[in-house]
Amino acid sequence: MLNNISNHEVDRRLLLKGAAAGGLGIAGATMLAGCASGTGPISFGSRSVDENPTKQFQALVAAYEAKTGNEVTYNATESNAFQNNLSQYLQGTPDDCFQWFAGYRMQFFADQDLLVDISDVWDEIGDQYNDSYKIASTGLDGKQYFVPQSWYPWGLHFRKSMMAEVGLNPEDIYNWDDFMGALTELKAKGLIGFIGTDAGGWEAMGTFDILNARINGYQFHVDLLGGREKWTDDRVKEVFRHWEMLVPFMNENVLDLEWDGGRDMLLSRQGGFLLMGSWFGADFLSVSQEDYDDLWIVPFPEINPDHARDTIDAPIDGFCVAKNGANIDGGKDLIKFAGDAEGMQAMLDTGVPMTSANNNQDTSTYDPFQTQQLAVMNEAKYITQFLDRDTRPDFAGPIVGPAIQDWFKDTSSTDSMLESLQAQWDALPPL
Amino acid sequence: MAGKTAPRRRRFFSRQDKITLGFFIGIPTFFHIALVWFPALATIALSFTYWTGIRVEDIQFAGVANYENIFLNTPRFWEALGVNTIWILWFFFIATPLGVLLAYQIDREIRGHKFYQSAYFLPVVLSLAVTGIIWKFLLRPDGFVNGLLGLPTAEAISFFGDDRYNIWVIMIMASWRHIGYIMLLYLAGLKAVDASLREAATIDGATEWQTFRKVVFPAMRPVNVIVIVITIIESLRAFDLVYIVYGGRGGLPILGVLVFESIAGEGASMKGAAYAVILFLLSIVPIITYLQQQFREDVK
Repeated sequence: MLNNISNHEVDRRLLLKGAAAGGLGIAGATMLAGCASGTGPISFGSRSVDENPTKQFQALVAAYEAKTGNEVTYNATESNAFQNNLSQYLQGTPDDCFQWFAGYRMQFFADQDLLVDISDVWDEIGDQYNDSYKIASTGLDGKQYFVPQSWYPWGLHFRKSMMAEVGLNPEDIYNWDDFMGALTELKAKGLIGFIGTDAGGWEAMGTFDILNARINGYQFHVDLLGGREKWTDDRVKEVFRHWEMLVPFMNENVLDLEWDGGRDMLLSRQGGFLLMGSWFGADFLSVSQEDYDDLWIVPFPEINPDHARDTIDAPIDGFCVAKNGANIDGGKDLIKFAGDAEGMQAMLDTGVPMTSANNNQDTSTYDPFQTQQLAVMNEAKYITQFLDRDTRPDFAGPIVGPAIQDWFKDTSSTDSMLESLQAQWDALPPL
Repeated sequence: MAGKTAPRRRRFFSRQDKITLGFFIGIPTFFHIALVWFPALATIALSFTYWTGIRVEDIQFAGVANYENIFLNTPRFWEALGVNTIWILWFFFIATPLGVLLAYQIDREIRGHKFYQSAYFLPVVLSLAVTGIIWKFLLRPDGFVNGLLGLPTAEAISFFGDDRYNIWVIMIMASWRHIGYIMLLYLAGLKAVDASLREAATIDGATEWQTFRKVVFPAMRPVNVIVIVITIIESLRAFDLVYIVYGGRGGLPILGVLVFESIAGEGASMKGAAYAVILFLLSIVPIITYLQQQFREDVK
């Protein structure tokens, strides 16, 4: 063979021609691969590289492989990077199914024809879900594009032992005055009362959501995020006026801490209350059972009696199938399994706490912290997803995120910040 | 002599030669146009449209709306422009001169110059992304420096969040690498300067500073031009470092990150294309003006 080549005069031009044709061929093949919907291994895209979700998804994938004999490749991406690249990812060669959020952020991509209609999957497993989950999984065209995995409430998290030491019972905190009183006591003890994080640009949105819902009610909140109310409204200013009252009780390095920095402050007893989604309970359990048992959640206090505590941010996480995936049928099969009782059980068997969206998770098997999450959830009449899941993506991330970060640097800039937000909303391209 | 060489210059290319040359010029040109000019021109065109970056048929003409939005409604743009301006001034008056100074010292072979040379050059080997990761590890609230100061997370100094520090911290991070880079470029230039020039200056009684200012510096003109152009480009195209530190969502605004923020993520906006065009003009205009002026002087 070698002899053959060395004896043969290789024509350079032919070689070049071949290389050019080869290059085009490769490009063409990848483009074509995007359209095929054949068989082969199914690829699963995870939106997290954190320990606990990874454990859950790998267990899910393993259970699926064991059951069906299909091969699954597991690809994980760090969550911020995954979100930043999602648009490109879905237009390129995405995984067949991937982990994502319900609501607007799913509907947007469904509307752009990048997700696969999975109504037939819902026909099979739909009876295991309440209607509210089906609504959250439905695109603007009335078809389903999403299978829910789990939910978690956003509320005030604290350590029972720490509050007991200070002599506080957070379960008694009902309204804003109670809360201010508790924060003052924590401050007197030299503690951070209200843990603040916003380095990721999204963490503080949770505080905005709950303050707006408490002060102005669910309808106003939804209308504001939908562009039917103005950011320059005095009612929005009222939200920031309340937020300003919280700032003296917060740590000063809000803009340097990502959400997990806040979690660690709570874990190490440096801060009293953490307003966050309950998902991080699993991380407490990873540290120790004792720390997990010490973790508790209460609803954010009432501010305006008209709205009491009737609204909560309770985002739903789950799975979608990408239209450009190489194996759409495989992807659908995998998320059907994930949404089914069996898949749920595989994830629960890892011992990582999860409040599943599936009705088959018997709430009597909940641990006390999960039962409390359900109680917090049940007190609310209205459920919102989260600011960056309830409004336009080109508004939430690049505009609201940095605006709130800047506001933290100068809390007296409320008026000009809100004017600028409204101006930037008005300048958004028509959808 | 000129008469002898003239006929030789008129070479005839055979058909085969033409094909070969066509390939060697044609293929790179094709790729250059496809990968550089097409995206650049498309970006300029897209900056005048509304588009989510997904379906081609959704592109809508927007006139100058994106630019209007940036200049009139986006305070973050002006903040970013401020940061980039500080960046360029810092590089120009602090980082680059320091690099030149180091190069000069090392070229004079001060004691231990080999060690200094490697020490200063080391950061250049690392990409800015790695630089960002290293410094973030040192300066984040639960990082090395705050640990050394004995501050718990709750009281940690906010090196990246607090406006009093963040820009200077980023400047030091960027200079850490830039100084070594300039040093290397300049050192290479200095090695090429004829030693007899310097000797002559010394014999004429010039001081060290006079020698540098009047003899070495002018002899280094080609390198100086490169250094200046690199300084401008490096400060305007800055992206990786800030992206790594702030994760591409908010944080210290610089133009490079604003482009990314609007164009990546969910629902791209052609505001990002408009940012890119602004950044392109900002980079290209001073460079072209400067180079033109230099060449004109050369002709004189």
